[in-house]
Amino acid sequence: MPDWSGEIRRRLAPLSLEPTREADIVEELSQHLDDRYRELLARGLAADAATRAALAELSDEELTGALRGIERPAPAPAPAPGAPRTRRWSGQFLQDLRFGVRMLRTRPGFTAVAMLTLALGIGANTAIFSTVNGVLLKPLPYPESQNLVTFWGTAPEKRLPVVNYPDAMFVFFHQHTRVLESVAAYSGGGVSLSGEGDPERVPATAVSTDFFSVMRQVPVAGRGFVADEGTSGKSNVVVVSHALWRRRFGGDRNLVGKSILLGGQPTVVVGIMAPGFDFPERSELWVPLVLDPESVNNWYLSTVGRLKPGRTVEDAHREVAAMSDEFMLSRPARFPDAKPGGGRAVVQPVLQSLVGDARTPLLVLLGAVGLVLLIASANIGNLLLARALARNREMALRCCLGASTGRIAAQLLTESLVLAVLGGAVGLLLGALGVGLIRGLQVGPVPRLAEVRLDPLAQLFALGITLTAGLFFGMAPAIRASRVNPLVGLQGGARGGRSGGARRLSHGFVVAQFALSLILLIGAGLLLRSFRRTLEVDPGFRPENVVTARVQLPWPKYRSDTVVRVFQTRLLESVRTLPGVREVGLASRVPFSPGNPQQNLYVEDHPARSGEAIPVVNSRVVSPGYFEAIGTPILRGRGFLPSDNTNAPQVVVVDETLAQQYWPGADPLGKRIRVSTDSGTPWLAIVGVVPNVKHASLRERPNFELYRPFTQNPTWSSYVVMRSRSASEGLVPELRRRVAELDPTLPVSEVQTMEGAMAESLSLARLTNLLLTGFAGLALLLAVIGIYGVMSLDVNGRLSEFGVRLALGAAPRDVLRLVMRRGLLLALLGLGIGLAGAVWLTRFLGALLFEVSPVDPLIFLTVAGALTAAAVFACYLPARRATRADPITVLRRE
Amino acid sequence: MLDREWKKGSADLLVLSLVEHEPRHGYDLCKLIETRSRGVLTFHVASLYPLLYRLEKRGWIEGRWVEKAGQRRRRYYRLTPVGRKVLAAQRRSWSAFAAAISRIAGVQNA
Repeated sequence: MPDWSGEIRRRLAPLSLEPTREADIVEELSQHLDDRYRELLARGLAADAATRAALAELSDEELTGALRGIERPAPAPAPAPGAPRTRRWSGQFLQDLRFGVRMLRTRPGFTAVAMLTLALGIGANTAIFSTVNGVLLKPLPYPESQNLVTFWGTAPEKRLPVVNYPDAMFVFFHQHTRVLESVAAYSGGGVSLSGEGDPERVPATAVSTDFFSVMRQVPVAGRGFVADEGTSGKSNVVVVSHALWRRRFGGDRNLVGKSILLGGQPTVVVGIMAPGFDFPERSELWVPLVLDPESVNNWYLSTVGRLKPGRTVEDAHREVAAMSDEFMLSRPARFPDAKPGGGRAVVQPVLQSLVGDARTPLLVLLGAVGLVLLIASANIGNLLLARALARNREMALRCCLGASTGRIAAQLLTESLVLAVLGGAVGLLLGALGVGLIRGLQVGPVPRLAEVRLDPLAQLFALGITLTAGLFFGMAPAIRASRVNPLVGLQGGARGGRSGGARRLSHGFVVAQFALSLILLIGAGLLLRSFRRTLEVDPGFRPENVVTARVQLPWPKYRSDTVVRVFQTRLLESVRTLPGVREVGLASRVPFSPGNPQQNLYVEDHPARSGEAIPVVNSRVVSPGYFEAIGTPILRGRGFLPSDNTNAPQVVVVDETLAQQYWPGADPLGKRIRVSTDSGTPWLAIVGVVPNVKHASLRERPNFELYRPFTQNPTWSSYVVMRSRSASEGLVPELRRRVAELDPTLPVSEVQTMEGAMAESLSLARLTNLLLTGFAGLALLLAVIGIYGVMSLDVNGRLSEFGVRLALGAAPRDVLRLVMRRGLLLALLGLGIGLAGAVWLTRFLGALLFEVSPVDPLIFLTVAGALTAAAVFACYLPARRATRADPITVLRRE
Repeated sequence: MLDREWKKGSADLLVLSLVEHEPRHGYDLCKLIETRSRGVLTFHVASLYPLLYRLEKRGWIEGRWVEKAGQRRRRYYRLTPVGRKVLAAQRRSWSAFAAAISRIAGVQNA
């Protein structure tokens, strides 16, 4: 007895009946056909004739047409009353959904590859987008933070991209601004907090008294500062952060009004800030800034201002530049080199200035993951297209059986959508994992990394990508399917006749993949090369086995130079005797530590011409033994000696950049320089020349540098530099003990190994490289899979042709060449487009590159070569299969 | 076979009459219509069942799965009380209609 149920179900399918009702009808109709079949046999019909006759009576148009008005389709999950069209549509959708899931389950390999490809693309995008959103876009947690701006001067002609302001200039701005509603000044630093518990150095900020009102911050207890606390003698008050209040003072409710020891001085706590407020740069304490309205000597003030409603950053920029001009031109004695229009300034929203260094790498990564997603999309497009082709016959059959082309297209679209949603779900999971990883990273210049969340916007973003991807991927096969010519489809058989259009489309995908992969690989290559170049830079010292730690001497306890000198001499002697210590020295600043004190430079035999910019020099004070401890070689002359004391002539060591600028080819020893034109400033005789030392980054351009001896120029700020025989972190507890022996109130802070500090300065570049290389590798893999898949499909479709060619006497080599040529042509076309794209796109890497041209020919050629090799490999496998085509087998299969 | 339109107009009446006294299944109905009309009227699976489902949906007939020993279960249809009234009404209007046609066309009632 024939099984009728399949045939009946197919006819009922368009009605989308409830499953139980459908089963009833199938059973009843099957029975009827059984009876009818038996009757026809009894009348003497042959079995197949009887089957045909019975089926003919099941003429479907009549059946489905008649049933359509009677039988109700399966209810939609959310019934839409009085909307039969919608109901039918959603019924169909559910059916398509079920069918789609079934189809995907029957091809686990295809499903896994497609889903994983999509998931990786979406996961990477979600993670990076979350990071970009959390770091770059999310507003700062301050009221109306979008109106907060910060500004500074800039003097590129003196190689000074950032110039802070002196007291007098800030006071001038404060009085004259019309664009800013209010403006505050601050100067970051640290202060030692002693008293109960171990002394510690706490990040502290001196702020002008209206700082909190500019930030619109209200303390949770006590108050902010009042105006007269910004005057000398009344400023021994402090506002503490919520975090410090909890950590150090155990959340003591009565802290406000109490006195604490800051730098050994009793200071009254007047307020506790709200949780989370730590501006600027994780500040834990705020003290009043005492401004001297006449002072133009110390250029140390940062600013934060609030724009008046309706005013823009550009307005502020114009005003700050104009006010700077006005300030300097009105003081010709102090600013002899001032010119109209010379008061240049940079004004930035506070958020932008906070994330400054992180911006370009993050945007580059965002672009890169976008490209990865495009490549992944092309891959999935190809996979789905291949699937659609393999199912040509099925589609043709459905067409013959009465499915409208629209229904077939809807079915295919649904399948892609199922795939996209699955991929999106897994991708979201990967994205969450990625965000978790990123959050755990310690990348110095990237603020707010710990606050990055897989935020709703990113999830929405992923959903958007997913749905767009689903519709997009579904589109090409669906459009194709809707053009299926049943006759051709059925004749073509399972191997699928590949129409010119489909082939062009899948070839287009391959070309696009190669182009995009090339761009990514070139970008990664350029960054890696930059990174190697960076590591090759000579920092001017040897960082191995060096530990540095800050020991700040508080004023007024260390008011007199003698006390400072005695302390520092004893400290050096004490540390030198630590076991394992080879060299020890002190310096006011060590490389890769925050801050960079600079001074003007006047050279005795090169007097500045009027109107010429006065050069600036990085200024350091170091002890005898410092150069040996940090590992900076003396190129000429000598380092400092204990005999360079207050009774001896004032001496200075300069770096070779300075020496070569002023005395190229001549001996700089004995020449004299000074740091101010004031009459009291002594001339300093050059006694030694050292290499240029990188201060904050291995990539920085060399700045002039000078070193003066502690013994002639005592300062309170000092770092101990210890060079040991082996890894040196173990020395730190010993160092703390030695410092405590000398003065138990002194905290030891900023402990770091020199190697660690340098690695930290490279952390962002390292992370960017790692991620970009990963993305580029992923892109390469996808592109290779892509071209392999397409070439395989091409070869399968032409197997009979190859078989016939071989049978007619073609050498396998000819067939191999035929296939390889086609594959490589696609790859090379992609590479050509990619090269053009890379030339255009790599310029955006500019700021991230170091001593590598954005169109570095070596990288371009290497990457193009590697991709070509990968393409050759990927095409070789299907090509070899083509050479083994056996005409008999192939033809028999037709 | 009679014209499709004729069949449409009379099909309800045919089915309702055949299940008036005893429940019948679909194939049985097909055979009865064919034999009793001496082959003039035929219903096939594609035309009969939509009709049965429509009548059932209107509440004129009622289908029920019946299992008999040694056989596959079959769906039997029987007349409902509502169907009975409808059948009576249709019979009346059909005879009135047939009589009218005969009078005009001069055909003898069979």
